[in-house]
Amino acid sequence: MSNRLPPVAGEWIDRAVRIDFQFEAEPLHGLAGDTITSALSASAVKAIGRSFKYHRLRGVLSLANHDVNALLQDGPELNVRGDVAPLRNGMRLASVNTFGGVRYDRARILDKFAKLLPVGFYYKAFHTPRALFPFWERVFRRLTGLGALDFSTPHIRTPKRYDFCEVLVIGAGPSGLSAALAAADAGAEVVIVDENARIGGSLGYQRGGLEASAGALRELADRILLHPNISVRTGTFAAGYYADHWVPLVDIKRMTKMRARAVIVASGVFEQPAVFHNNDLPGVMLASAAQRLIYRYAVKPIQSAVVLTANEDGYVAALDLLANGVKVEAVVDLRNATDSSDAATRLEQAGVRIHRGKGIYEARAKGDGVGAAVICPLRADGVLDDEQQQTILCDGILMSVGYAPAAALLYQAGAAMRFDETVQQFLPQTLPEGVLAAGRVNGVYALDDRILDGRRAGNEAATMLGYMAPAALPVARAAISPSHPYPVFDHPAAKNFVDFDEDLQLKDFFNAAQEGFDNIELLKRYTTVGMGPSQGKHSNMNAIRILAKILGRAPGEVGSTTSRPFFHPVAMSHLAGRGFHPLRLSPLHSRHEKDGAVFMQAGVWLRPEYYRQRGKLKQEIVREETMAVRKSVGIIDVGTLGKMEISGPDAAAFLERLYTGRFANLKVSMTRYALMLDESGVIIDDGVVARLGEERFYFTTTTTGSANVYREMTRLNTMWGMKVGIVNATGAYAAMNLAGPRSRDVLAGLTNLELADDAFPYLAVREAEVAGVPARLMRVGFVGELGYEIHVPADGACAVWDALTQAGRVNGIRPFGVEAQRLLRLEKGHIIIGQDTDGLTTPFDASSEWAVKMDKPYFIGQRSLKIIQRKTPRTKLVGFMLDAMGENEAPKECHLVISDGNIAGRVTSIAFSPSLERHVGLAFVAPELAAEGGRFFIRADGGRMVQAAVAKIPFYDPAGQRQKEAKDSQAA
Amino acid sequence: MNYLRTSPLHDAFNTLQPAWDESHGMHTASRVGGGDAAIETLALADLSCLPKSGLKGPAAAQWLVAQGVPVPPEANTWTALPDDGVIARLGRSEFFLEDGAAGGMATRTRIALGTGTAGVYPVIRQDAGILLAGERSNELLAQTCNVNFAEIDPERRVAVMTQMIGVGVIVIRTHLRKLPCYRIWCDPTFAQYFWETLSGIATELGGGVIGTETLLK
Repeated sequence: MSNRLPPVAGEWIDRAVRIDFQFEAEPLHGLAGDTITSALSASAVKAIGRSFKYHRLRGVLSLANHDVNALLQDGPELNVRGDVAPLRNGMRLASVNTFGGVRYDRARILDKFAKLLPVGFYYKAFHTPRALFPFWERVFRRLTGLGALDFSTPHIRTPKRYDFCEVLVIGAGPSGLSAALAAADAGAEVVIVDENARIGGSLGYQRGGLEASAGALRELADRILLHPNISVRTGTFAAGYYADHWVPLVDIKRMTKMRARAVIVASGVFEQPAVFHNNDLPGVMLASAAQRLIYRYAVKPIQSAVVLTANEDGYVAALDLLANGVKVEAVVDLRNATDSSDAATRLEQAGVRIHRGKGIYEARAKGDGVGAAVICPLRADGVLDDEQQQTILCDGILMSVGYAPAAALLYQAGAAMRFDETVQQFLPQTLPEGVLAAGRVNGVYALDDRILDGRRAGNEAATMLGYMAPAALPVARAAISPSHPYPVFDHPAAKNFVDFDEDLQLKDFFNAAQEGFDNIELLKRYTTVGMGPSQGKHSNMNAIRILAKILGRAPGEVGSTTSRPFFHPVAMSHLAGRGFHPLRLSPLHSRHEKDGAVFMQAGVWLRPEYYRQRGKLKQEIVREETMAVRKSVGIIDVGTLGKMEISGPDAAAFLERLYTGRFANLKVSMTRYALMLDESGVIIDDGVVARLGEERFYFTTTTTGSANVYREMTRLNTMWGMKVGIVNATGAYAAMNLAGPRSRDVLAGLTNLELADDAFPYLAVREAEVAGVPARLMRVGFVGELGYEIHVPADGACAVWDALTQAGRVNGIRPFGVEAQRLLRLEKGHIIIGQDTDGLTTPFDASSEWAVKMDKPYFIGQRSLKIIQRKTPRTKLVGFMLDAMGENEAPKECHLVISDGNIAGRVTSIAFSPSLERHVGLAFVAPELAAEGGRFFIRADGGRMVQAAVAKIPFYDPAGQRQKEAKDSQAA
Repeated sequence: MNYLRTSPLHDAFNTLQPAWDESHGMHTASRVGGGDAAIETLALADLSCLPKSGLKGPAAAQWLVAQGVPVPPEANTWTALPDDGVIARLGRSEFFLEDGAAGGMATRTRIALGTGTAGVYPVIRQDAGILLAGERSNELLAQTCNVNFAEIDPERRVAVMTQMIGVGVIVIRTHLRKLPCYRIWCDPTFAQYFWETLSGIATELGGGVIGTETLLK
């Protein structure tokens, strides 16, 4: 049987192109231009899905992607929205959420137990016995979820792009089209988007059986499509609104981030269902769904209809049915109006019975769908008088009882919305600059008025952008509400659904309110109304009306829930798309790769963790790299450190204020450790400051801190107005640390610089050439050996590295990675900011008082430190050593220090020191545990308590002779 | 200076097996695969070899004028250097200079400034310098940056400082053989990520990578 109608004016299908597909293994066919749902309806398939909770049969409801009755799986592509997804040849479609297919779904038995499964039952059940929880978890995981994920699905690349326009019009219905024309006529460059395959909106399908609106649409469409200033994007929805008129536009291929100078929201309304018993049977649908089926896809939606209405549009829909061969058994009008409209008169003349002041009490089932509608008079208190039932046989019920605005983007844009009692709709009261609303979303319903309202918005937008446009006159909003204030009817057998996604019945709302969830946001969380895939498009308004009724308030007092992007679900492939994740590589990256580096992420950088050696484990390699530095010479790329230059007459004064130490007295050609605090006295960064001249300093920051430090310095200088120039040279300089007792020997052959201790002492800085490359060399001792930190322009890094490694070959030079460096510095007791400190650590906590000159007039954080200084210390960073033990027995970083059964601190760093042949570490401990020689316990894996002894740091070379005096060091 | 400079994009070109040449003291990929045919559609080239210099400070503009360097009058604009090359004004008091294939003004400026003078501070510039050209340049930029380059009039000589794919860049629009052409500079440590991402998109758009052979003549 086919429900395809003879050709209909303006139909979207191409009758010459047949499309073959399967649904639930049954071969079917449709036509090019069909959506999946329209093709199924044309093939007389009524039952297209099963509901989420009770597994009830579901058919067409909105045909607009405003419900998930038509949610399907096509091979690996899951959750395909049948209402809007174009039909393609070879599709193998199946309903989601079934066990054994849509018709014989074994889980339909759940519908019989509905009384035992009220809303929120899962909050109250399955807690005990606890042992059964995994069982219930498995059961629910199996029962819930939509579609079956195929992990072998190929990655679909969906590039994102940016785009720009002057006026973005969202919605290509009558008001959107006229808005676009008005703005474009004034000279603005306009982009108009619509989620449908073609423009026109309701103008194309709300016809009242007449051809006039189709003709008007054709004329409007021609003007739009030929206008040089208008770009039309169909099959594209505006998924959200972000600041500065950023709107993500989603089409089948990609997401486009559109930046507009003005946005006109002409997104229309969502038709809303009435709530009555069995309102979810296949065949019960929104009137607009039936009209779309007829006029877009030439499909006869049903054979005989009862139309439930509360507005003029229901009569128009009944006329559309009549004009296309559907028998209209009755129109049931919830209103008790006595005046007959033109449409009502035409219906009565056609012999259609109109029942005024009545409602539908229940739909009765027959086969897969509707068999009859039972109607009753509607009492003055809004309740149906079920004593006076009348049964009307039919195979379909159309609902036209009202609308909810598609105002998500307006909410997201920050529009103030108010509930208008006359229109029975939330309407924009004030709109942000550059955002306009037009048409039904703005409460304007009559077709001519919508066109005028669109024109007004278009002209306003053009004027706002500086174009000459006619003065914009306000357009009257609907004087008679198109929406019934409470199209909701109780029934002793329930199954009167409010949210079709989540199978929520009317009684669920009363239960939620009774449980105390009587605020709209709480009600949403408890019942999950609006939390299904259609995000409340067909349910939120009724939920608000129901809660208002329960509370005895107006819907405006109840308010609406927060609207967040995305407005429609966006495919994960669109969101994943091409990800842009910036990655920084040292200029020496290729050298590390060649040397077998195993890389690790350090912020946005990749750094060598260690250098692979055939047949050796990481631990062994790290110890070897460590011992190479201790015994001979190693080289590490430290180019990821932040590198700053500050010059000018106030440079020293600036550093005095920025850091805790003293720099005004730092001699030219010398360096000094620098510690940076925030205003609360917490350590945020550290580094080494080198004085290159009276007014020139070069200094390092931590790897992850460079951008923040530079930003903060720039901010501070704007505030302080000092005479300095600040340069962030992090990327422009490469840096490497040549360390070990043989480092001087390696360097000596590559530079003319005098390297002897008296000429280039510990903590000095020099500028010279190394391997022909201009370099800054600092004698620092982070790893505790004679060493040279060599900074060179990035384009010379490879030349220097190659020369150093070549020259060091005779001394067995080894590149070493971050792991070895961490171990070497731990042996020296040097802290790493962020590892041995946290967001609360002050210099007093970190035992770094030596780096803080409290007697300076000012430095950032000083005021806070003065206050903290007067308080009792809360923690102290100490060095500790363990008795000899195996690697697996030792505690790890972050393990807790325990004292008298209480947490008294934590381990921040720990490693086995090959030099000391013991585990050494740093830990925060309670001050009373910090005395040298004292002992405390660390709770290791499995709850084992490991005893540690507080030890003086540095653990290795306490006098610091090795980094200071090369002669002694070389004797090692 | 007595060394062979390395481009921040050197490793990215290695896999393309280009013909290498030395230009401005740097190993440069002079010819890649099918020559520069891609330039009509969409081409990317590495011009990092061109010498650069930078300076900032309240007296920077005045100092440049004294050196005979043409100074863009407005912030965020650029102008051509007399003997080939460009100078861009980055904000009110910071300047970026790059020599062209033939010029030497950026280099001379760097040497003249040395470690700086009153109110003028040198800025070391080691940026990766990229050329993007071809009819589909704007499509590539639309996929990677939220600035509407298509509406930028090349005659206005705007120097755009923005982010592309999460990386801070300076972009100027010029012409190359009457085709849209952009020069892009970014921090050298981001260069490989930046290049790989852009060249991947360029390939999807029917373009590709070209060498410097004809560009630096």
